[in-house]
Amino acid sequence: MPLDTSTYSLGLLRVDGRRWNELRRIHAQIRTQAAADGSSYLEMGHTKVMCVVTGPTEPGPRRGGNVGSAGGAGAASGGQHKDAEVLVNIVIAGFSSVDRKRRGKGDKRTLEMQSTVANALAASLHIHLFPHSQITISLHVLSQDGSLLAALINAATLACVDAGIPMTDYVAACTAGSTSTYAANDESADPLLDLNHQEEQELPGLTVATLGETDRVAVLVCESRVQVSRLEGMLAVGVDGCKQVREILDRVVREKGRKMIQEGTVERGTGLNDMDVD
Amino acid sequence: MPITILPPKSSRPIPSRRADPEDVPSDSDSDTSSQAGGADLDGDIPMITTANKSSPKYDSNTGIVTPGELITSDPQWMRGHGTYIPLGTKDITSSVAGTITRTNKLISVRPLRARYTPEVGDLVVGRIVEVQAKRWRVDVGSTQLASLPLSAINLPGGILRKRTETDELQIRTFFAEGDLLVAEVQQLFQDGGASLHTRSLKYGKLRNGVFVAVTGMGGGGGVVRSRRQVWTMDAANGAGQIDVVLGVNGYVWISKHVETPAEVENKTMGITNMEENVSATMYSSQNDPIDSDTMREIVRLRGVVTALVENSLRVDEDMVVRGYQEAVEMALLSSKGPEDVYLGGERGQQLAAALTGV
Amino acid sequence: MASQQHVLLSPAELAYLHDSLSLTPPLRPDGRSPTQYRPLSAETGILPGTNGSARICFADGTEAIVGVKAEVEKTRRKWDDDTIYDENKEETREEAEGAEGSSDWVELTVEIPGFRDDDSSTVFLAAMLSEALLADGGFVRRLVINRRFHWKVYLDILLISPPLSYPLPLLSLTTHLALLSTRLPRLKSEGDEDPFFDDDWAAAPYLYPRSSNKKVLARPPVTLLVMAVGNNIIFDPAKEELAVADVALAVSVGDVSSSSSSSSSEGEEDVDMTAEEQEGRKLRLLSIRTVDPPSRLTPPGVPNATNSAYGHAQVGEGGKTKQQMPEARAAESEAVEGVWKPPRGGAKALVMAALVQKTLQRGGVADEVFDALEGVDLG
Repeated sequence: MPLDTSTYSLGLLRVDGRRWNELRRIHAQIRTQAAADGSSYLEMGHTKVMCVVTGPTEPGPRRGGNVGSAGGAGAASGGQHKDAEVLVNIVIAGFSSVDRKRRGKGDKRTLEMQSTVANALAASLHIHLFPHSQITISLHVLSQDGSLLAALINAATLACVDAGIPMTDYVAACTAGSTSTYAANDESADPLLDLNHQEEQELPGLTVATLGETDRVAVLVCESRVQVSRLEGMLAVGVDGCKQVREILDRVVREKGRKMIQEGTVERGTGLNDMDVD
Repeated sequence: MPITILPPKSSRPIPSRRADPEDVPSDSDSDTSSQAGGADLDGDIPMITTANKSSPKYDSNTGIVTPGELITSDPQWMRGHGTYIPLGTKDITSSVAGTITRTNKLISVRPLRARYTPEVGDLVVGRIVEVQAKRWRVDVGSTQLASLPLSAINLPGGILRKRTETDELQIRTFFAEGDLLVAEVQQLFQDGGASLHTRSLKYGKLRNGVFVAVTGMGGGGGVVRSRRQVWTMDAANGAGQIDVVLGVNGYVWISKHVETPAEVENKTMGITNMEENVSATMYSSQNDPIDSDTMREIVRLRGVVTALVENSLRVDEDMVVRGYQEAVEMALLSSKGPEDVYLGGERGQQLAAALTGV
Repeated sequence: MASQQHVLLSPAELAYLHDSLSLTPPLRPDGRSPTQYRPLSAETGILPGTNGSARICFADGTEAIVGVKAEVEKTRRKWDDDTIYDENKEETREEAEGAEGSSDWVELTVEIPGFRDDDSSTVFLAAMLSEALLADGGFVRRLVINRRFHWKVYLDILLISPPLSYPLPLLSLTTHLALLSTRLPRLKSEGDEDPFFDDDWAAAPYLYPRSSNKKVLARPPVTLLVMAVGNNIIFDPAKEELAVADVALAVSVGDVSSSSSSSSSEGEEDVDMTAEEQEGRKLRLLSIRTVDPPSRLTPPGVPNATNSAYGHAQVGEGGKTKQQMPEARAAESEAVEGVWKPPRGGAKALVMAALVQKTLQRGGVADEVFDALEGVDLG
């Protein structure tokens, strides 16, 4: 715990009324799309993302040129792969931001996010089980209010879980920031959890994703200037936030599974207790 | 009414202001943490403590495990599909969200939903996507294409003969791109691929009917492995007999039943003779004449299969036959009479309700 | 000329589909009647950050989201020297304003996952959808704020699901609903001064105005996908149906009654009035495009007579294939019962005429589609 909560007065609230260590409301659903192998919908505050996963599937000869810029992970594209290839395709809707802005498929920032998401997931997914295959992840950004990359990673993780692709653990992401700007050079600046758009614009911030409940960092992206001394605090808060996010994602999956068993679509499993008897 | 617009299902992502009551699990400890994202102004919200993290959260009511969850660290168990052992540990850990199954000492996790995973002996319906020199590549809805070697089909010419270069050159006359076939999984490869064979009169090219792809083995409704995947049934309303092939992979073929000469013969012949006597129509892509009554009932059966899947019910012989009878009854009550074969939307839900209600 | 993803169907399947769709009445693989659409679920106003939005899911899982955003833009005036209208009477001025709408006030983009922005099919879809919208100039006329300013409208159309079937009907219906739910801030300024708007979103009027009993008085156009097999006309074809189409058309239909009646009947909206309005809906054909159905690219089936893998049990190999050579040639031109043969040549004029008539006639498909879309709760 980097900071002692008790020294904080209630007056120190952020623009949207949160405390420094509070996440925004996260609402998530899986299996939103009947036709896809896996799908999810995720809201982090007003950032809204949809994800559709196709695969793993082996591309036939006809679909040779799988267009759309994709962050290939693992081996280079083309030819036979030992591992499955993770392709990520991000569409940022023109209406997603306050001012309408269209980003083409070749947009540099989008490309970078694509490869970040692809690499993060490829590291957790057991891609060695599916040689020659492709896992295509399409992400649609419907609304942006900060922490976009984190929302994309979380949505992609959920959709991959829904698709039943084996993985080491959830890749859960969130952002962390610092309460004063770089220029202020305030050594005592405190960290903040889960930045919204306004905070992201004004304050230094980073996106961090961890693998499951461990402290193993899968993604760390910092695109703003910040003093090194502040980094540790920010990272610690971010990693802690990731654990909260993982809990929330896990609950969504469990709830869906529970419903499916109730409805009888999936048979109940053998209880662990039965095993202990042996 | 040419267009029916249904209200969006509750499972759809509706950005509702209020939290969906169903989304909040009822047990109390998760309730508190679910508010960590909200703006709870009174009282101190500590960061979630990591104290209870190490204990398994395994919920014995549902038997669901999720990726990264420790199943057991007892070394007596062996790990199966859907699990892995992290480096440097002996913990069997789940890699998918699903339910635990165990066969003797083997623990595996069956995912809630996944693509079809082939197993030896599975009856599958597949579509040729690529023709290579000595084999076909077949889409069976799995994570990889299956292969059908030229050596694993019955060659025309009757007697068991060696395949020749002529056969290799004529490979497209047996199966070409797009052709549908029913086959059996013969062998699994190390990398997860499967090879098929059609060396039986039950298998081969499909014609005289319609194809429908639903979800296969892997959970979440769809076709399940059962005693019989192929059967012939009597259709109502003056139609002839109809064959239904439920591929374990979720690909379904519904066609007019054709009594081939070979089929008549094989009742009297031994297995060796059967193999030799390849039906003349084995590689035909010409449909037999089909009367409109049969076509109509084929459509009705197809509607039953899709309605079952859309309402996440399992698809097997029992459900399809019962569903079909129900659909025939429903059509009698319909305003358009027995000719009405539409089973989409609300009518599909009606059908599903009638089937599950019994 | 819409090239589509390749549809892989076996010749036997194609022949069966073609036969069942050629019956009278046609028998569709999913049991729908020829004019019936796939069941769908629709909702509007899903994105609070937009001026209007809608989402439609077909039962087969295809799904689209459309968001509309509007920005104020200064009208570029080509007729700055043209001072006649300024001096003229009020009426003439209004007429002139109406005519000012320009098609570059609307920007429409289509996003289909897995396709590039400049992919021909994406561009073609966008062109068809915007063509319908701009065809009669009625839409851009709504965007005029005053003589110096107008709304610039951005329509972003996203296909969420993989393109399982030709997405035109889905995208068109979703766009229609999004436009119906679009609201623009209420104008507080007057005349030609710089516009300023009411902050109260609740007071914002709809782009397509409606009467107080929530009845929509005007409607955006709808593009229907229609195909023909033989003499049968089939609406909203699924992928496999389109694969055996002789001809496929994208027909855009607008509602002309609304624009004229909206001004006159705005005050009185009794129940009888609505009924009258419904009857009096006049549909106008805005555009027709032929869509190249994938059926033309399918491989033909091989009749048994020329199939070398057929009937070998009885006959020796060598002699038979040689004998069959002339037959093979004959089979290419003649149709054999039960064997798939891709359609060649254009559509019959009679079929085309029937097709358009079926769409436009009173109580026809377009009419009912408009009715059904009206039933969607516009929040």
